[in-house]
Amino acid sequence: MKVSYFETGRYHAPHAMPPVWPMPSGAYDQAAGTAVYQGMVDRITLVEKLGFDWVSLSEHHYSPRILTPSPPMAAAYLAARVHKIKFALPGPIVSHSNPVRLAEELAMLDTMADGRLVVGLLRGTTNEALTYDLNPQESRERTDEGMELILKAWTEPQPFGWQGRHFRYRTVSVWPRPLQQPYPPTFALGTSREAGEFAARNKIGLGVSYGPFDVMGKATGYYRDQCALHGWEPTSDQIIFRANIVLAETDAEAQRAMEAYPAQAAFALGAGVANALLELDTRNIAGESRPPSVNRALPINFIGGPDTVVEQIRRCREQTGAGIIDLGFNTPGSSDPDLLTASLELFGRKVLPHIRDI
Amino acid sequence: MPFQEAWVEADGFRIRYMEAGEGPVLVHLHGAGGLRLNPAHDLLCRRFRVIAFELPGFGAVENQRTQTMQELAATMAKACERLDLKRFDLWGTSFGGKVALWLAVQQPELIRSLVLEAPAAIRPEGTQPPSGSPEQVARRLYAHPERMPPAQMVDAEHSARIVALTRRLRGPDRDPALEAQMRGVAIPALVVFGTRDVVIPPEMGRIYKDLMPDAHLVFVYDAGHAVAAERPEAFVEVVGDFLEREDAFVISRNRTVILP
Repeated sequence: MKVSYFETGRYHAPHAMPPVWPMPSGAYDQAAGTAVYQGMVDRITLVEKLGFDWVSLSEHHYSPRILTPSPPMAAAYLAARVHKIKFALPGPIVSHSNPVRLAEELAMLDTMADGRLVVGLLRGTTNEALTYDLNPQESRERTDEGMELILKAWTEPQPFGWQGRHFRYRTVSVWPRPLQQPYPPTFALGTSREAGEFAARNKIGLGVSYGPFDVMGKATGYYRDQCALHGWEPTSDQIIFRANIVLAETDAEAQRAMEAYPAQAAFALGAGVANALLELDTRNIAGESRPPSVNRALPINFIGGPDTVVEQIRRCREQTGAGIIDLGFNTPGSSDPDLLTASLELFGRKVLPHIRDI
Repeated sequence: MPFQEAWVEADGFRIRYMEAGEGPVLVHLHGAGGLRLNPAHDLLCRRFRVIAFELPGFGAVENQRTQTMQELAATMAKACERLDLKRFDLWGTSFGGKVALWLAVQQPELIRSLVLEAPAAIRPEGTQPPSGSPEQVARRLYAHPERMPPAQMVDAEHSARIVALTRRLRGPDRDPALEAQMRGVAIPALVVFGTRDVVIPPEMGRIYKDLMPDAHLVFVYDAGHAVAAERPEAFVEVVGDFLEREDAFVISRNRTVILP
């Protein structure tokens, strides 16, 4: 099993903030923000030393929860400071991006990072539709088309035009091209039938996230079935499972920490907007409808002391087939970066050495 | 459908064609499936005088005389001359794309601009034209077979005759004689492939650009081999713009002002 550390850019607020999304930008504190980016460098240097395989960076907006609205920019900054660990971007939100620009930036990044880039292509969480005025009912189609355009931009050696449904270009010819050829390891992200089919058709990986192992297993099973229809079989390295972890020295300590874990997202949308989004945004797991996630705190999939977590990771592998876990380390009730560092060190010392043969 | 059926005598053949519209002349040469109008023809005839020929042998009457693509192209040039078409835009689909290329290299003075829709002039080794039941053909031609219009009733003898004619005329998968002459083509050309073409891989498009550096390559997203039939609005928008503005069609005229 390979392990990725999900770096969220932890913002240690010097004063109380309203629990809303979007967070008023007037609530931002420059000194705390500056510390975020230095903290990222420190933690990534640490996880590289601890033996983590990847660090991952995600795109979110308008809140202190994840301070990397531009993952390629964050990765470029960090990749210059560490030299072995790979950078996974799961990912840039394709549905509201210019796909050609993404293809260019990711190719730049792969080249500058000496071929250490891993790409995830994401539809985006429901609230992100508000960020750049995206119609939530169009996000699925825009994501599918954008992903295909990015792959074409990386592989087509001649200038070309693109007559899409949502994107139209008359001239595309990206420079630089990715260092890794034909392109970096790339994953479609999501549990949906559409994501699984797209990944299978284009012979790329699949990343699923946050659901229970058996439910995520349905999505990865569907993906594998689709790959078989297209005449190939994905390796375990082509399935990522992104999840939250609460790790402590003992199970009891981890359970105590969970008492402070909220039921609601720390920064929630107003009820009117949230309800409207719930109606407009349709999601599914391998074709079975599921409600979009709005205002709920994400579940924790791995909870406990080191031995318990090792067993949970074993079950995760068995039920999802994932060969890579991408972990968000939680310290419920506190945004103190020192607690996060302690958790990472504990993982490196007492979990990592025991999961390599899983 | 505004198209009118007509015939022209040329080169010893009585050639059927469908015509509609006014404006600059756009001649269409169909693929190996024969002459079938689709919504792209209807959209194009609003701006062009569209003349869609039925290549000799692909209709009701057998053609045992034509032996090569060059001969077929020469016959079609004569049909255009008989209709008094002195200079026109030429659109060739798949098999018809290869005929169109031969016509362009043999008589470039006739052609103003060239549109090659999923052209079959350059094919991976061993490529076979779609055949089988209407459902099997639909799955090969369309990314979304449900978009194919109901198949016309064609008897087995007719189908077999067209398959034999196509095999006789289509020429090698890579034709050095044609490719050598393509390098000298000075006609503005647009090569269009569907991103989900499984008959001829869209990656063939780049070879046209290698051979004809001034050609433009455009991918129509989520369309199979039958690009114009499957995504007519997307096809016609870029083709119409190219025919109107030639190389300058790469400059956007989209207005992005939302509120004045």
